[in-house]
Amino acid sequence: MLVILTVAVIGLGAYSFQMHKENTSLQRTVLAQYTNNLTDASEKLSGLQQAVSQSLLFQDDQAMNNELDAVWRLSSEVRSSLSNIPVGQEVSNEWLSYLGRLGDEAKRTEKTGDYQAWREKMPQVSTNLQSLSDEWTVATVDLYKNNGNMDVWVQQVDNTKPNTTFDNVQKTLKDYSEKDFPLTLSESDWQKKIELKALQDSVITEKEALEKVKKLFPKIKDATFTVTKSSDTAPYPFYHIQFHQGIRLGYIDLTEKGGHLLSYLVERPVDEARLSQDEIKKKAEEYLKRLGMNDVAFVESRENHQAWHLTFARVHPGDNALIYADGVQLKLAKDTGELLGANAMEYIQEEKIKPQTAKAIDWKTFFDDDVKIGEVKNIYTDNGQFEQRLCYEVIAVRDKNTQETFRVVIDAENHNVIKVEYLT
Amino acid sequence: MRLGSLIFALMLGISIFAIPQNDAIAFTEQQISRGAYGDDVIELQARLQYLGFYKSKIDGKFGYNTYWALRNFQEKYGLPVDGIAGAKTKKTLSGNSDYDEAWVKAQLNAGNQFTYYGGKPLEQQVKTNTGGGGGGKSSGSSNNNGTKTQVPPKYTEKDVQLIANAVYGESRGEPYEGQVAVAAVILNRLESPEFPNTISGIIFQPLAFTAVADGQIWLEPNERAKEAVIDAMNGWDPSENALYYFNPKTATSKWIWSRPQIKQIGEHIFCS
Repeated sequence: MLVILTVAVIGLGAYSFQMHKENTSLQRTVLAQYTNNLTDASEKLSGLQQAVSQSLLFQDDQAMNNELDAVWRLSSEVRSSLSNIPVGQEVSNEWLSYLGRLGDEAKRTEKTGDYQAWREKMPQVSTNLQSLSDEWTVATVDLYKNNGNMDVWVQQVDNTKPNTTFDNVQKTLKDYSEKDFPLTLSESDWQKKIELKALQDSVITEKEALEKVKKLFPKIKDATFTVTKSSDTAPYPFYHIQFHQGIRLGYIDLTEKGGHLLSYLVERPVDEARLSQDEIKKKAEEYLKRLGMNDVAFVESRENHQAWHLTFARVHPGDNALIYADGVQLKLAKDTGELLGANAMEYIQEEKIKPQTAKAIDWKTFFDDDVKIGEVKNIYTDNGQFEQRLCYEVIAVRDKNTQETFRVVIDAENHNVIKVEYLT
Repeated sequence: MRLGSLIFALMLGISIFAIPQNDAIAFTEQQISRGAYGDDVIELQARLQYLGFYKSKIDGKFGYNTYWALRNFQEKYGLPVDGIAGAKTKKTLSGNSDYDEAWVKAQLNAGNQFTYYGGKPLEQQVKTNTGGGGGGKSSGSSNNNGTKTQVPPKYTEKDVQLIANAVYGESRGEPYEGQVAVAAVILNRLESPEFPNTISGIIFQPLAFTAVADGQIWLEPNERAKEAVIDAMNGWDPSENALYYFNPKTATSKWIWSRPQIKQIGEHIFCS
């Protein structure tokens, strides 16, 4: 008996020793990766500051562009390293935002050729980066003195134990971010859009919201509803209406101002497909009419194992171009074509489109000889700088044999290529 | 006499089953076009490949590759060129090609790389899946789920898989709305300058998601989690533009309580 017990104790001891060894080894591997990323980020941060300084040396466009490329590349690399180390979420957010904005500015300058604006702004950014780099070095010095122990890292992100050096970095970053890269007019408009600031309608009551839901979605008019209001701190107030009716369980969000539909989604078992693609599309168009969306046109549809997702976009009344930012999406069940979802968050915030002119493009010279044009559509879309631009959306096919298909979006006025997407 | 009738009936039965599945009956009556997926599209792609028009992977997804191949077929056979597989197109296609449904489906189910060109023995057109992947130009679905997901072009099936893992690991006990909201938070982070700019970077950002820290992200997600991801990728955002969420019963961070809250779904509070 004693022998068995002794063997068991020895076995258990050996097992826990082995486990401890494996854990320590794993911890050291992770710690080594974190330390590597931290060192990498710190070194590249210094390189980034130098690249910003160097960009102020040149008058020559080509030399300037090389430095701008370096700023963009290094800012992206530091972002990547920083996002792989466990520092507090706030510090991480501020860092990623600051570096992203710096990289975007470099890219935009290279694209627009507005070197003067860059030269005016960057001396201050270079100084700020230097001081940030110094503060970062101070804040992270403890992380190198960890004796192979993960606890030091864990303490850095434990918000119950404040760390003043990291707090300083975060505060400085926030301050520099606001001063060095203030929101542009377009960004501020975009932010207002996200917060639904444009809605000026009068507030509806909870009862009115429920009546509207029953009118928009008669299928669930007899459901059991639970209505809650969004939190007081939500950027825009809305009613969150959850419902349950037999096999259906879902929600509807309606804005408090005007009772506009934000989104609707229902979950229920779906049987085998019985409707054709064409019938689904016709049903979707009927639903849109009932939802009061009469100014939209079909963009695309995708079939999945339970449902179809269809996208529509508002048609510009002036030139009939599709405004992709004013899109609405529907989800229809494959068995009966029942409306399982509607998303109108973008549609209810109608874009204000500035007048623009379309200049014709000779596709033969624009594209390579090997490229065939499939379709050309006029659309309005974001140019990456929060501006809605009139564009040509071209479906281009390359190479007769492989028939690779691309969606190319080209600004109709200045002919800049805004987006290229590979389609399968 | 009775025996003769029996033999005749048996032969008739055998002859009916022996007819190659190459007529219009093989297809369903549905008209299919871009965006469709499923058995009809698999057959369409296989028949187009049999005739040499379709050179891409047979995956059951009616995308642009299928569309151009179909248009070329329609042009060659004097049909209206619209890239839509209607009754007339299907009939012409069926009349001019062969389709071994059982063989094609077997390859798809096994995850084999294969092609289906006419005039070439089928056994020479398949590379068996050994689980280790393979080089060369591939054809055929990589797995059974390969034909189950169609998402907007900016996302890939890998993205669906990765986010579904996160959704399942983080919120499998939550209502469907809550699962779509978790997927939407990940996609909202992708648009925000304050987060990494890849889906994998966001999910694996140290300490960002509990499911990564406790290993639950590696659980196999169910179809419900995948459906939630597909809805989020198609634009649904029950979180109303949230960037964070937390469980008030288990959250230890004081900081997360300072974020402006938007709404609560199930056990999660979503905030900006």
